[in-house]
Amino acid sequence: MWHIAPAGDQALLVRLGTAIAPELLGQVLALDRALQDSRPSGLLSTVAAYASLLCRFDPGVTDTARLEASIRALEGHLDASIPSGAVVDIPTRYDGPDLADVALTKHLKPADVVNLHASREYLVYCVGFAPGFAYCGSLPDGLSVPRLASPRTRVPAGSVGIAGRQTGIYAVESPGGWNLIGRTTLRLFDTAADPPARFKAGDRLRFVPVT
Amino acid sequence: MIEVINGGRWTTIQDRGRPGLERFGIPAGGAADWFAAAAANRLAGNHEGAALLECTTAGPTLRFNADSVVAITGGKPAGTVDWQASSVARDSILTIGAITPGLRAYVAVRGGVDVPLVLGSRAFCQRGAFGGGFGRPLAEGDRLVVGDLQVSEPLAGPWPSSHRPPLGGPWEVRVIAGPHTDAFDGVALERLTAVACRITPAIDRMGVRLETPGLRLHSQEILTTPLTAGAIQVTPSGGLILMLADHPTTGGYPVIATVIAADLPALAQARPGDTVRFREVDAAEATRAWRRLTSWLQLGR
Repeated sequence: MWHIAPAGDQALLVRLGTAIAPELLGQVLALDRALQDSRPSGLLSTVAAYASLLCRFDPGVTDTARLEASIRALEGHLDASIPSGAVVDIPTRYDGPDLADVALTKHLKPADVVNLHASREYLVYCVGFAPGFAYCGSLPDGLSVPRLASPRTRVPAGSVGIAGRQTGIYAVESPGGWNLIGRTTLRLFDTAADPPARFKAGDRLRFVPVT
Repeated sequence: MIEVINGGRWTTIQDRGRPGLERFGIPAGGAADWFAAAAANRLAGNHEGAALLECTTAGPTLRFNADSVVAITGGKPAGTVDWQASSVARDSILTIGAITPGLRAYVAVRGGVDVPLVLGSRAFCQRGAFGGGFGRPLAEGDRLVVGDLQVSEPLAGPWPSSHRPPLGGPWEVRVIAGPHTDAFDGVALERLTAVACRITPAIDRMGVRLETPGLRLHSQEILTTPLTAGAIQVTPSGGLILMLADHPTTGGYPVIATVIAADLPALAQARPGDTVRFREVDAAEATRAWRRLTSWLQLGR
């Protein structure tokens, strides 16, 4: 059963589950598509992340009860599938300032960290936190490390980081607490591009080591 | 043309922001005190989408090279006539002094500040360092072009004080429970609304950190979810982070309650050391408060 709760007086948060799983993200994206198609009156915009979907509405047109009813009507009627779009290559130079520490923590050589990180395809579970930042999963078990004890105040755009079972790419310079293992020259956020962010939830990518 | 002689403490160009792009990690942004900004544009006779200056703690010094009309609202800057349209003569200098009470003052110039639209808005986005003409707060030597977004005569007379939100603490702020009520025990929100929270100096356009003296809230971890302005996150150490206009679009801390949209202007004016009491309300009361505030903006129409 979906968990639907008000997020203030002008949005609803729909939670479809509590796990990081491709199937759940697939359902979230299917709900998102269904709402774009059915366009309940007053729905302004949606944001998908992992297992939840935020639905903002115009309080002059609808209210939480009516919008919740429109969303509930879709429960059990979604045409969901596991996201399976083309895999985008991310050329990555593995020279991040935390690569050696990650290797030490995991009793690996730095080259093994690189090989493990680049060994699989990742799913973008969410674009958030900062413009264009892509949260991707899931990392191999052997690479799971905690966030930095104290976050950096400035992480350069293009930095590739890992934290917990996730890996991510900083699209703009921002503060950040992830372990930085590499960077890419690929431009992931551009205000002049349409869409401005290179990735969206449901996209797939792979890190390709370059020197 | 307006020449910036001194940028002030942290002055940015804002408008109604760019809602709808959150899925790209872009916050809606726009004026932190949306009501004061809208009132300034009304006073100046501007279109509601016109860009203006958001001044923080102490505003800029500006030289006008043409006769202009300005309207200053929000927090009260020293040495200014606020909440009414006033004329500024060519070659004169306008100094927006230290702001108190309140934290943020808005300066609308008749016609609006004309900087390029970025993703549909002229607003400076702190997280992405874009927009607002310069991709940064105003600095000495910046030149601002005045636009042509005037749509009516400036309003005559002062904005009635009965039609403005309160400007000083102690603040009472209304919240709706959740959305992560299930990450807390059943009495957590009741305990939160029973204490006076304190605003810390950690304030920017993204959010405000608050302390809860005598109260330590415990929560369960949640999966990263989308955030809204007004969301009150509880960190693992029990501190509160309240989301403002440029908030991160997603977050990993549970949200115990969310400030109603009608009370966000008050929070944008809260100063370090101020106390805040949260009061839980239902959706009906939140909607009534929203309608009341937006109806005040219809003044003179």
